[in-house]
Amino acid sequence: MDERISQAVARVPSAVRASAFALALCSGFSASFLALAPVATAQDRCPELDPEVNRLLRTMTDSTARGDYSGVLTLQRGNDMQVMQLSHRVVDGVATEVLSRLTGQDALVLRTEHPTDCTHPGHRLLKAASALENGVCGLAAGYRFHLDSGERIAGRDALRLRADPRDMYRFGYVFELDRETALMLKSTTYGADQRVLEQYQFASLSMDSVSTDGLPSMNDSLEDAGVAYRAGHPHPSEPQPQSTGPAWIVTWLPDGFMATDASPPGAPRKSFTDGLASFSVFLEPLKVAIKPGEGVERQGSTVAYTRGVALQQRPVLITVVGEIPTNTARMVADAVRLR
Amino acid sequence: MSASNREVLSALLDDEARELELRRLLRELDRDDDQSRQLQGEWYRQHLIRAALQGDQPRHAPDFSLRVAEAVAAEAMAEEPAAAGWRRALGSMAVAASVAAVVVLGGQQLSDGVDDAVRVAPLPSGVVNTLGAVPVQASFGTRAVPTLEPADRTAYRELARQRLRRYSQEHAEHASLNTPQGLVPFARVPVIER
Repeated sequence: MDERISQAVARVPSAVRASAFALALCSGFSASFLALAPVATAQDRCPELDPEVNRLLRTMTDSTARGDYSGVLTLQRGNDMQVMQLSHRVVDGVATEVLSRLTGQDALVLRTEHPTDCTHPGHRLLKAASALENGVCGLAAGYRFHLDSGERIAGRDALRLRADPRDMYRFGYVFELDRETALMLKSTTYGADQRVLEQYQFASLSMDSVSTDGLPSMNDSLEDAGVAYRAGHPHPSEPQPQSTGPAWIVTWLPDGFMATDASPPGAPRKSFTDGLASFSVFLEPLKVAIKPGEGVERQGSTVAYTRGVALQQRPVLITVVGEIPTNTARMVADAVRLR
Repeated sequence: MSASNREVLSALLDDEARELELRRLLRELDRDDDQSRQLQGEWYRQHLIRAALQGDQPRHAPDFSLRVAEAVAAEAMAEEPAAAGWRRALGSMAVAASVAAVVVLGGQQLSDGVDDAVRVAPLPSGVVNTLGAVPVQASFGTRAVPTLEPADRTAYRELARQRLRRYSQEHAEHASLNTPQGLVPFARVPVIER
């Protein structure tokens, strides 16, 4: 077990149920996702990440997880623009994060009791300089990075980090990172034709450590919001009610992608990340036959690709949802097999 | 049959019908009158012509549009007692669900048919490729996807739209833990549910 993870396990009171969730994920995770990782890639095939970029990404990951910050964000996808408020606070090594929508649906998402030492695979990929264990290449396998001086965003000076995809299986990104903390101030996702698919940025940002006195209590916020959703920590040892489906695997992933959690083989969902992008695959066994076919829906950088197919003569519906090109989703759906 | 119906039907069979037009057409099919029966007849006739043009064997299945009409009728009855706002919100979903149901029901029937294999042809390379990807030569490694009839293609697109709504929150849960944007992936979820 990772040393940092052991420390996190020791620090979190076991009586807190939500914390127990988080640490079970973090502790059970390193060992169990090995079984789900793609077939080993040759280590020497993995390119090294530029040390300066690596340092910057590590600082960014730490600032995002451990910093105190709050501000107003805009998210633009095509003609649709959303405005939302985000706040992130850390007390005694445990983070509380709230996102509330200021336009559109009156909704709030809350993630509490998240130990800052709990490192998920996406963040491990972000922080890794080279290949991870089991032949999974790091970020440099999927992207070419380019560092430059950036814009001024939300009153702060930024560095520009451009991540160009090395292959056609992922999108490109331009990040504007705070010069002081490397916190992400702006992110632009673009497709192969350089068309912007999604852009979000802070309009205002405060990095003062917020005193809890001046803010409405979490319970008040939860009661005031039209819809409040508590984001969880998916974890492997909690019994999953829908894990009785057929066992299935994904036999092909683009280079650099790995499983985000150790979902049981019969679970209806498996999620994957390369550190910057992520997608989830869903399998629904059908009771009746379906005409084989496919359908695509795209909203900004998000695609939903649905394929009706018979696997071992069992009709199933495979859906890939994620921030990836349509063709990647199609190839992943195509690589789903029943065990 | 009105000229506008003929146009929509033609667009539908060419897979170019807009959702609103499709809904109007389905509602007209729902009426049990001469015009509706004429529309159904025309739908089937045009389907046969297109099938012949594409070199497909015409399907012996009873009129596809009848099934659509049945499904829409069932949805309409379920909608009756609802409040207006709720009905408006669910209207498009209901039609989508009806069409999706037909895909599933139709499959059962098709598997009994003899002409199933004839209609399966590989997609041209890179045809699904849209935003963000360089065209892939022959989409290596992928299996052939059957060429869909236009109505089925519309149904599958509705299915993808529904699945995006259904799954995007669960996906956001993982994206928010494994990409650098924190909780922002939840902002991509069309409607957040408890």
